[in-house]
Amino acid sequence: MTDDPIGRLRAMLLIRAFEDGLSARKAHGFQLLSSGEEAVAVALASALTADDQLLTGGRSIGPALARGVNPGMLMAELLGKTAGMNRGRAGRGHFAAPEQGFFGSHAVVGGNISVAAGVALARKMAGEPGIVAILFGDGASAAGALYETLNIAALWELPILFVCNNNQLSVSTPREASNAARRICDVGAVFGMPARSVDGLDMVAAAAAAREAAEHVRSGRGPAFLEMSSIRLRSHSTTARETRSRDELASLRLRCPIEREIARLQGEGLLGEMEIAGLREEALERARAAMVFADASPYPDPAEVLADVD
Amino acid sequence: MSTELATTRMFFREAVRRAVEEEMARDPRIFVLGQDVGSFGGSYREFDGLFAIFGPERMRDTPVAEAATIGIAAGAAAAGFRPLAVITYMDFLMLGFDALINYAAKLRYKTAGALTAPMVVKTTAGAQGQGVAHSQCIEAWLMSVPGLKVVAPSTPADAYGLMKSALRSDGPVVYIDHKRLFPTPGNVPVEPAIVPFGQAAIRREGTDVSVVCHGYMVRVALEAADLLAGEGLSCEVIDLRSLAPMDVETLAASVERTGRLFTLEEGQVTCGVGVEVATRIFARIGNRPWSRLGALPAPVSSNPVLEAACIPDPARSAAAIRALVRP
Repeated sequence: MTDDPIGRLRAMLLIRAFEDGLSARKAHGFQLLSSGEEAVAVALASALTADDQLLTGGRSIGPALARGVNPGMLMAELLGKTAGMNRGRAGRGHFAAPEQGFFGSHAVVGGNISVAAGVALARKMAGEPGIVAILFGDGASAAGALYETLNIAALWELPILFVCNNNQLSVSTPREASNAARRICDVGAVFGMPARSVDGLDMVAAAAAAREAAEHVRSGRGPAFLEMSSIRLRSHSTTARETRSRDELASLRLRCPIEREIARLQGEGLLGEMEIAGLREEALERARAAMVFADASPYPDPAEVLADVD
Repeated sequence: MSTELATTRMFFREAVRRAVEEEMARDPRIFVLGQDVGSFGGSYREFDGLFAIFGPERMRDTPVAEAATIGIAAGAAAAGFRPLAVITYMDFLMLGFDALINYAAKLRYKTAGALTAPMVVKTTAGAQGQGVAHSQCIEAWLMSVPGLKVVAPSTPADAYGLMKSALRSDGPVVYIDHKRLFPTPGNVPVEPAIVPFGQAAIRREGTDVSVVCHGYMVRVALEAADLLAGEGLSCEVIDLRSLAPMDVETLAASVERTGRLFTLEEGQVTCGVGVEVATRIFARIGNRPWSRLGALPAPVSSNPVLEAACIPDPARSAAAIRALVRP
């Protein structure tokens, strides 16, 4: 949990540098990146404490980094190396680092939502502190798993924060064609939980909204729902076709949440050019170090294929 | 002096109840969630009275939401509890396959052992007049999922012992009762005892053919064996009890003795339990004469005539065994 605006900027810059470094690598696997969505992940993470757990869908890299998952282990995991937190078996779609507050991703769209509610139920039954946050996309807002889970979470007053990262597209389908609700957060409101929508490109507003929602859940009053609107600056995945025009993408890039936050901090006199350059370089260096760490790790022995099945 | 364990007579549903009560008393991490498991006592009264003992937190009624129920069980299991999720009909298990198969069964593997999902999904299989989406036996589908254990008792003693093992298991388990078995009585050990997974039981010894089956079909097989005994044909009837893991050793030893294999199941024979049983046995001891019987390749209607026509009965089983042994 951080109120430190420079810390939040550092986290966003790391996500961008890490994902750029990963995707620039020739053999990088099948990855879902989050350029344009960094403020969502960092805002949410800034509202969570060490006692909390975060779960996500398949677009997991940025949220995990924001949560503080070790970048070297994450890079190794994404590249299938044994130094990964799950020995490189899980990859982007399924890695878990519960000891670092990241309970796991699950790449079946909507699939992790009910699992997260189960983690929240365990918290409640054990009387343990901490809340559970589940981050999913606007695509998952059309999935039945969400509605079953919203209903039960509300009935049982589970300590869970539902966060929809509305990046406006599920692969190629625009948000307007995938969910009939006027605002996605309205689907939380019908179950009686506090629900609001916030500009997920505005770091300050997003962090404040995440804090408010998390505090509601933390106070024991049951779940909350937060929609954060963002933009997807890349195609759905590193192997998916881009469906938008160059002009559209160029105009989207002008709305980059990182540059927006840098401009704000500069405008308020909190950052100078030298410091900004330093922070950018620091993020690149951390991403490079993560890659060096991953590259130094071997792939698993093929004999591991049958380990830990039962 | 008998070394037999002292037993007490009880109905199948009472044996389930006793296992759950004992395990819940032993382990506070166990809780039950599902439709009508609370004060109602379970759709088959298999949790009668447990609500009064353990209360609404641990006998937790859910809305009609199988997908979320199994997902919540999986999440709670991964976070340290031992949930028993109750899905009234096996047909509805399909609604929760993502959490069960894509998440829980793979959790230990994908996290390299860091997380496990010690959960039990208790459900019911089989035809009892309720139609095409309340009658299926899809255990063969589940057997093919790495990381998933599948058990199906045919007696009150095994319902008791297998449920106790299931609630102590560290991986996801699907525990399957057959609806027609709930009102059946049987002897159950007086002292607490578990039935380990992966051990088949020889229900009747015989010399001409090994009949391998599970669940309610064990009763059908035993009736068929009675019919055939009058003709001088001797059946060895083996109850799988545990489908995954499977006790290939006991099965193979039996087929080696009798020289023939007959597999009987209530589900579909295509990619069914029998195919798997035969393949594993023959991989170990070489091929032997084998035939199989299961439901006809049709949905199971609630129409009593069509239901009876679809699933194996003692007479058809006996005819098929006769044809195998005396071609």
